[in-house]
Amino acid sequence: MSSVGAARFVGQSVARIEDARILTGRGRYMDDIVLPGMLEGAFVRSDLGHARIASIDATRARSMPGVLAVITATELEGAVSPLRVEAEIPNYLRPVFHALADGKVRYVGDPVAFVVAESRYLAEDARDAVEVDYEPLDAVITMDQAADPDLPALFDDVGSNVFYTEAMNFGEPDGAFAAADRVVSAMIDSARVTHVPMEGRGGVADYRPGTDELTYHAASQAPHSARQALAALLKHPADRLRVVIPDIGGAFGQKAGLSREDLVVCAAAKMLGRPVKWVEDRIENLAAAGHAREETIEISAAVNDDGTILALDVKMRLNQGAYPMLGTPTPLFGWIVRTMIGNAYRINHMRWSLDVYASNKASYSAYRGPWAAETLAREILIDRIAYELGLDPVDVRRRNLLTLEEQPCKMMSGPTIEAVAAIDTLERAVELVDYDGFREDQRRAREQGRLLGVGFSTYIEPAPGPPDFFAAIGFTIGGERAVARLEPDGHLTVITTQAPHGQSHETTLAQIAATEFGVPMAHVRVLYGDTNTAPYSSMGTGGSRAATMASGAALHATRAVKQKALAYAGDMLEISPEDLEIADARIRVKGDPASGLALGELAAAVYASPPEGEESDLRSVALFNQPSGGGYSGGTHVCFVEIDAETGIVRIPRYEVVEDCGSLINPAIVDGQVRGGVAQGIGIALYEHARYNEEGMFVSSTFLDYLVPTAMEIPNIGVTHFESPPTDEVNYRGVGEGGTIAAPAAVLNAVSDALGGTRVEQLPLTPDRVLALIDMADERT
Amino acid sequence: MTVEVAVTVNGQLRSAGVDARRTLADFLRHDLGLTGTHLGCEHGVCGSCTVLVDGASARSCLMLAVQAAGTEITTIEGLAVDGELNHLQQAMGDGHGFQCGFCTPGFMMTATELLRENPRPSEAQVREAISGNVCRCTGYESIVDGILRAAELIDE
Repeated sequence: MSSVGAARFVGQSVARIEDARILTGRGRYMDDIVLPGMLEGAFVRSDLGHARIASIDATRARSMPGVLAVITATELEGAVSPLRVEAEIPNYLRPVFHALADGKVRYVGDPVAFVVAESRYLAEDARDAVEVDYEPLDAVITMDQAADPDLPALFDDVGSNVFYTEAMNFGEPDGAFAAADRVVSAMIDSARVTHVPMEGRGGVADYRPGTDELTYHAASQAPHSARQALAALLKHPADRLRVVIPDIGGAFGQKAGLSREDLVVCAAAKMLGRPVKWVEDRIENLAAAGHAREETIEISAAVNDDGTILALDVKMRLNQGAYPMLGTPTPLFGWIVRTMIGNAYRINHMRWSLDVYASNKASYSAYRGPWAAETLAREILIDRIAYELGLDPVDVRRRNLLTLEEQPCKMMSGPTIEAVAAIDTLERAVELVDYDGFREDQRRAREQGRLLGVGFSTYIEPAPGPPDFFAAIGFTIGGERAVARLEPDGHLTVITTQAPHGQSHETTLAQIAATEFGVPMAHVRVLYGDTNTAPYSSMGTGGSRAATMASGAALHATRAVKQKALAYAGDMLEISPEDLEIADARIRVKGDPASGLALGELAAAVYASPPEGEESDLRSVALFNQPSGGGYSGGTHVCFVEIDAETGIVRIPRYEVVEDCGSLINPAIVDGQVRGGVAQGIGIALYEHARYNEEGMFVSSTFLDYLVPTAMEIPNIGVTHFESPPTDEVNYRGVGEGGTIAAPAAVLNAVSDALGGTRVEQLPLTPDRVLALIDMADERT
Repeated sequence: MTVEVAVTVNGQLRSAGVDARRTLADFLRHDLGLTGTHLGCEHGVCGSCTVLVDGASARSCLMLAVQAAGTEITTIEGLAVDGELNHLQQAMGDGHGFQCGFCTPGFMMTATELLRENPRPSEAQVREAISGNVCRCTGYESIVDGILRAAELIDE
């Protein structure tokens, strides 16, 4: 436990350590890295969605000034192994493919060749001189086309574009549907979107022929798994392979896995014996870095007339695009949807089916709350139930959400629900927004022809989830490690497995360690992102794990070093360690601030002459295992909209979030995560669409076509913190994903509410679609 | 064709020989080593590369280095004075204005221009002024608040 009298940084909005460099222009991002002899590369990419490659002529490109190499699939043979999703999943097609297109291109942006030159400018000149002759094939764009056996299969070796299907029951849905008063249905067609980190992907591969050492400076959320995958696929000894991350300009899941391009860049550096840098431009990022959310869900509920939900029937379809991501088998996203869709609601029966399709589009990749389709589908269904039964949508939620008194209990899909206060966040939200008052305002506004609406969205998310959540989704991650080390000057170094890129872990973990150790924040340094020093993690930063898992690991590693320091000090001072405490960077006798010695004096003494029979350094590695209870974050979002009936533009005058992520480490950081997440959710609901036309051309390849919301679109977002009862000493839970998970449903429900309960089934809600919905609403009245 | 380009950056005279087609952003970043300016889209929409050229904000991805010859340029590295954060930096730090830091240089330079032209902007004016800058992390509220707070600090 924390020392009496020690400064408590946890719970305070302390200033971010990261800002010292970020606000002064001294961050060091990928494209800032310059190495001796470094070359730069550019990819030749397919401008067709589906075609056979008849020939590639790089003769002219190879002879251009400053060009070192033009690498195609032929040159890569032997340097990079053929690629395939590793996990064998029954029923899941796993085609073999290559880092560069081999014989065929399968989406606009598919990498065909890699040009390496003395500079980016020269590489791009030569890239434009590579001549690729294509024989076009019919493009497979929609999921219905993917299901059509008459259209060509993307991958000859698997022969079908239907990559995965499953169907199963939870509980006894047939009985529940038969017993229900009625069935209410809803449907959601969620648009393909993309992550848009402000910095795109890239890397600098530094190969030293003399020692066979390969260092990859990678913008990676998971350096250790990137290293493992590189070692396996490049057949490079892992002990000579190091992945190290610079500052990263956002990721949101897009940089979680190793990309085909990463492999090519590393192989090129090995072939050429010089460092090679690749930094993608925005067009590449939008077209080829990974997309998400192209899913449809048809959902029905067996309900009683009082709004009680007895069972669900859920049919999910997911368009994974062309190439599967290497690390994450696409069905996993459906499995999390399947596991979480019952959520904090008292729903015990479900019919479930999942279909995953391949198409001539960019790869489906995990994006902030990758299973968010479950909340979107469920929360719009709840509003449909309310509308069709003539009930209030808040009352339908109240009737079906689990109370704390019912917990612990099990979701129908398996995971334990404990300490989940979603219903309390709903009540708090209803109070906060003066719901009844708004309904009155809405009625008056409608009389004046103004369209006001309100939408709720209540949810929980695994952040990181209880241990049995991972059993339910069939994906194990394990505990999280941290290293803590007292330096000879008495400062503390904490090394985390996290690979932060905006989440402020340097600050939050320093808050945890400084509070535990009894030293000022400035005496703690958090290191990360270098596989030579960081403890192993297959996950890195992702899955909303850091708040619980990295904090827990840092806490326990720090505590262990503290125990060692107290024991050594006890020996030196000839006093029992129990009578000592650490405060203000001094070890002192409890209650006697003037006694004892500075941590720096102790550390210097221990390093200079280690006590007999003791290890000589003040260091500890802790493995923090998932606490057995709780593990969820959640909350309720309330979105207010006003729709301009003339233009179809949806404005959001007010947005409120009541969130529960347990105890707060740094409230300002939590607020920032919530607001940023909501902004992305609003983008999904109203603006963003990674669009392809019928021929498979990608038509959202600039920021003029792919609309990222600006300060003119995103409103101020009220954030209210609610703390459910703690289940563990480490009562901090992840908060990065919830905003994006919950917001689309809140916005969509508000739009539907403004239009008198009109069905809203397709995202994004662009002005033309909203105008069409207004027409539908008018026709019904 | 190599051209010698000389500019005054953050008060210092700097020069380098560059290709006529080199962008101002690449000149600042790679020829002068001022990597605080970032490239987020290279087509003039995201605003990450915004610098001040003779006091006016400019997208350094859409401007050639040769066009900037003889001008006075301010980049994010030039905001702190003698190692002391200026009011805008202080306000952004206090209020957790940014997260990943990639869009930061553009917002900081846009806000610098705004506060020079309109020392006490309203929230609506701040939002309008930064509407040509994209941030994907924050949802903008912390940036808007930071600029409003900076205006107060400058006033005090």
